[in-house]
Amino acid sequence: MTTSRRTFLKVSAAAGGAIALGSLADAASAAEPIPHAPKKLKILILGGTGFTGPEQVEYAIKRGHEVTLINRNKTRPDFFKGRVEQLIGDLEGDMSALQGRKFDVVIDNPTTAPKWVRNVAQYMKGNTSHYIFISTLSVYPDNSHPGADETDKLTPMPDGLDPYSVPGSQARQHYGALKTESEAEVQRQYPNAFTIIRPGLIVGPLDQTDRFTYWPYRIDKGGEVLAPGDGNDPVQFIDSRDLAEWTIRMAENRELGIYNAMGPAKKMTMREMLEGIRSAIGSKATFTWVPADFLSKHGVRQWQHMPVWIAPRPQSIGFSARSNARAIAKGLTFRPLAVTARDTLAWNKTRPADQLEKLAQGAVNGLSAEKEKEVLDAWKQESKSGETR
Amino acid sequence: MATDRRTFLKLSAVAGGAVTLGGLPRIAFGGDARESSAAFEGVRAPLNILILGGTGFTGPEQVEYAIKRGHSVTLLNRNKTRPDFFKGRVEQLIGDLNGDVSALKGKKFDVVIDNPTTAPAWVRNAAQYLKGNTKHYIYISTISVYKNSNKPWADESDALSPMPAGVDPYTVQPKDWGKYYGELKTESEAEVARQYPGIHTIIRPGLIVGPLDRSDRFTYWPYRIDKGGEVLAPGDGDDPVQFIDSRDIAEWTIRVAENHTLGTFNATGPAKPLTMAEMLYGIKAVTTAGAQFTWVPADFLKEQNIQPWSNMPVWIPDSPDEVGDSRRSIANALAAGLTFRPLAVTAKDTLDWNKTRPAGELQALAEGRRAGISAEREAQVLAAWHSRKGAKPK
Repeated sequence: MTTSRRTFLKVSAAAGGAIALGSLADAASAAEPIPHAPKKLKILILGGTGFTGPEQVEYAIKRGHEVTLINRNKTRPDFFKGRVEQLIGDLEGDMSALQGRKFDVVIDNPTTAPKWVRNVAQYMKGNTSHYIFISTLSVYPDNSHPGADETDKLTPMPDGLDPYSVPGSQARQHYGALKTESEAEVQRQYPNAFTIIRPGLIVGPLDQTDRFTYWPYRIDKGGEVLAPGDGNDPVQFIDSRDLAEWTIRMAENRELGIYNAMGPAKKMTMREMLEGIRSAIGSKATFTWVPADFLSKHGVRQWQHMPVWIAPRPQSIGFSARSNARAIAKGLTFRPLAVTARDTLAWNKTRPADQLEKLAQGAVNGLSAEKEKEVLDAWKQESKSGETR
Repeated sequence: MATDRRTFLKLSAVAGGAVTLGGLPRIAFGGDARESSAAFEGVRAPLNILILGGTGFTGPEQVEYAIKRGHSVTLLNRNKTRPDFFKGRVEQLIGDLNGDVSALKGKKFDVVIDNPTTAPAWVRNAAQYLKGNTKHYIYISTISVYKNSNKPWADESDALSPMPAGVDPYTVQPKDWGKYYGELKTESEAEVARQYPGIHTIIRPGLIVGPLDRSDRFTYWPYRIDKGGEVLAPGDGDDPVQFIDSRDIAEWTIRVAENHTLGTFNATGPAKPLTMAEMLYGIKAVTTAGAQFTWVPADFLKEQNIQPWSNMPVWIPDSPDEVGDSRRSIANALAAGLTFRPLAVTAKDTLDWNKTRPAGELQALAEGRRAGISAEREAQVLAAWHSRKGAKPK
């Protein structure tokens, strides 16, 4: 995709205007200029052209910081051309473009293996006063305790597997363990100068995974919507802009430590989320809530087919109930759900046809219309036979 | 209130910017993308519109939309509610529907929109000058004209409320206007039909909500949910609700004028049935405080002397006698082009506007003097409910 950032924003705005609901520009930034930070920072962002990265860059620029990106220039080539310093490097290979450079803060978005941290540290150790690593909630293997905080136990590497030489083919399988090892490497390389941020499900515009987008998209289509469970299961997620902007503020305040990062501020149920999305986009969709066991019997998987949702089982009861108190105490704030929903929908309408086709087929996440109807029909049969019994 | 229209808009915008919610745009006063582009091109011929009233709640939205659509607007009112609110943007006539409206003498209009009439004598008063001098008379009546609420999805043919025998609708004293509200609106409709045969439209709105509403009959919910904490929510969440954003009804009224749509229409929303829980969750989506709802059964609320509608705005518990409340058919209005903003827009705009209200009005809202309940009263009822249940909420 060669669309530059400016073009992208223009496209989004046009799409927002095209839908009958009115645009949902980020009024917080549109209406009021974002004030400059008290002190200008030299920020190096590893990656920066994916999903959360671009939001970090935009916000950092608005706050008056000087931004350098290092990436392969492949994901969205020249996305920020002329607005940031652009270095070419590959965390898996040559990072020598960092030779001799000094920064106030490094934000590491893409690292999925500890050797990437080590690779960068050849040049950055001693040359940055702060290293922020974007980790993941997937470092926690045990999801059975609602309210667990950052002291919860992490995922060790399986015996006999060297975290520094896990083959790429196994990286996904050991995602949580490799992120855990990467966190440990960050702590070793940058003692007393690191921040580890563990986001939950990140959602919003630019998300290619459809792991939230499915819902605004599906609800906007209208009609009878298959909704999972009884509506009372808790959900957690974070708008990429909330995460990105808070990350920059953590850099400005040089806040160190380890933080779970997800929202909302207080408990939100699946039903509140879906009704909130419906309210935001003005849809006439109706929801049919189908119990977890029935869904499971019909091959409808939590999270993947029914995005955001985790069935209330003993082993996963804490999954969407992680404590975010520490991050909130350090200034993490959240956009209203309605803003996230409408921005996501407006952005979704600008996506290339092949991505939209995948979304329609539930090829990445979510459910195709056919499968949804099949399950709804089966559920009605079941309810009917239940009544006659 | 001496604030003129422009100042008011400025205040609203500032308030909108001041809240940290970001996002939902200020589409409050017709700044909707839909209106600014395609829809405006559809206006065939500019109309010469007389609006009776026009400075209250729905009226200003009619005026804004009519001006945007290229119509020329004349207002007739006492210039008391919001003096000079549209100064320089409309023709302004001074008159009192309950007194002298001779300022209308010799005037001709394409359409008259009658917002304030609460008694048939007012219709007759205006008709002295307007009968034969307008091609269309639109009367904003009320859904309160219906006698019964015991049929779900009743349409406009449902029985109305006649004046009790022996009471002359033309001489009811102002002190009794409230007492005979539905009856007087029914009689006013009949007077409109007599004065303007074959050229009248009767619009019967349900609960009108949104910015500028001083009744707090919806505003309570955005205000309360935005405060966060444990929120007393009435019933089991499944009771139906109906209401209409003042902008939706105002804009549709102007389109009814443009299309010269005649007939009688219920006008409430939303398009598809909505429950109390869906409404409150939808409002929550524009806030960030993380309100937690505690649903308390209707019977218990009754025991606690918490009134539906007044103390728990919008809400009417489902019961055989009330089954038609919040279940009025709007099929005719939908067919005639009534559309609805998303609930989130109504909620956000109402919340932003509420923050611009004078201290006295905000104090009344906090104390639940017009509608809603005070924080103290809410806490009492929640405490009583938890002790009845013998358990604290999770």
